[in-house]
Amino acid sequence: MHEMTLAQDMIRIIERTLGGKVRLERVNVTIGPLAGISGESLRFCFTEIARLEDFGEPELTINYTKARLLCLDCREEYSSDDLFHCCPRCGSIRKRVLSGREFTVDSVELEEGEEPDG
Amino acid sequence: MAEEKNRKVKIAEKILDKNDLMAAVNRELLSAKGIFSINLISSPGAGKTTILEYMAGYFGPRMAVIEGDIQTRRDAERVERAGCPAVQIETGGACHLDALAVKKALESIDLDAENLDLLAIENVGNLICPSGYDLGENMKIGLLSVPEGDDKVMKYPSLFSTVDVFLINKIDLAPYLDFDVDRAIEECRNMNPDVTVFTLSAKTGEGMDDFCIFLESNFH
Ligand SMILES: Nc1nc2c(ncn2[C@@H]2O[C@H](COP(=O)(O)OP(=O)(O)O)[C@@H](O)[C@H]2O)c(=O)[nH]1
Ligand SMILES: [Mg+2]
Ligand SMILES: [Zn+2]
Repeated sequence: MHEMTLAQDMIRIIERTLGGKVRLERVNVTIGPLAGISGESLRFCFTEIARLEDFGEPELTINYTKARLLCLDCREEYSSDDLFHCCPRCGSIRKRVLSGREFTVDSVELEEGEEPDG
Repeated sequence: MAEEKNRKVKIAEKILDKNDLMAAVNRELLSAKGIFSINLISSPGAGKTTILEYMAGYFGPRMAVIEGDIQTRRDAERVERAGCPAVQIETGGACHLDALAVKKALESIDLDAENLDLLAIENVGNLICPSGYDLGENMKIGLLSVPEGDDKVMKYPSLFSTVDVFLINKIDLAPYLDFDVDRAIEECRNMNPDVTVFTLSAKTGEGMDDFCIFLESNFH
């Protein structure tokens, strides 16, 4: 699976933003339901890589968003965890996906006494 | 309290930003050379290479192929034998191609070759991992084969809700299996209303010319 690659990409982004290796307490990410990413697998990979690369033992907090969908029959916009759900207004299953593929590092929280290098 | 606050650092960055930037570079390069590009995604064995072999016969040197595989040059050799230049990327374990790997592979293709109209990229066989990686292609194609079952459309929405084209391959096997073609197409359209669909058999050639003509209609 590609969660290992993604965890490495995350570490590089964090390292660049902080200007070096800093011990982390928490990392906050957002994952959309259509990003094709397993949160649990990412948690496992990220924790492992952070430890190996001297970023402490951060907890990964995942904000799972919902997908925004547009009903093609009544034009209602609604949110859902998946694409199985029907429109809450008219019951139609026909939809266009407006969002749901996001995958971002939102913020990090440093261990006490740590400071960003940059 | 103030100290607490200072320990939180905002990042707000898309993890695939770097890939997306590289993909934009590929897209620009190919478009500057007047080359139309496709990214072919399916599970292993659905028939990507067989489709490309047929296309190699149809397009000849007007097409170049990038083959992504975890290991071996076999698919590139198959496509070359079928009549068009091919470059193999061996990902050595990675379950998808990324834009950087494609950029490197592009260096071994003669993009200035006269008649070169089409670049076809065969992604690593996988229905999940490749779906988030833009390679810089103009057209993303999702392929499902009849033996895999029609339920796979809804099981892999991160792919089938984003593809420009949905191919159903091995249609020659439909009489022997319970794959419901209409249902697969309907379920794909329900979440991806603009998708273009072809049913085909790379083995017998059924539907293949229609697909090739459709691709041609997108050339610059
Ligand atoms: N019956 C039938 N077999 C096919 C068809 N297309 C491919 N195959 C067979 O499916 C197997 C896997 O095909 P291949 O092109 O290597 O799949 P890939 O892993 O997606 O590149 C091969 O044995 C092909 O001969 C088809 O349309 N009909
Ligand atoms: Mg193949
Ligand atoms: Zn509705």
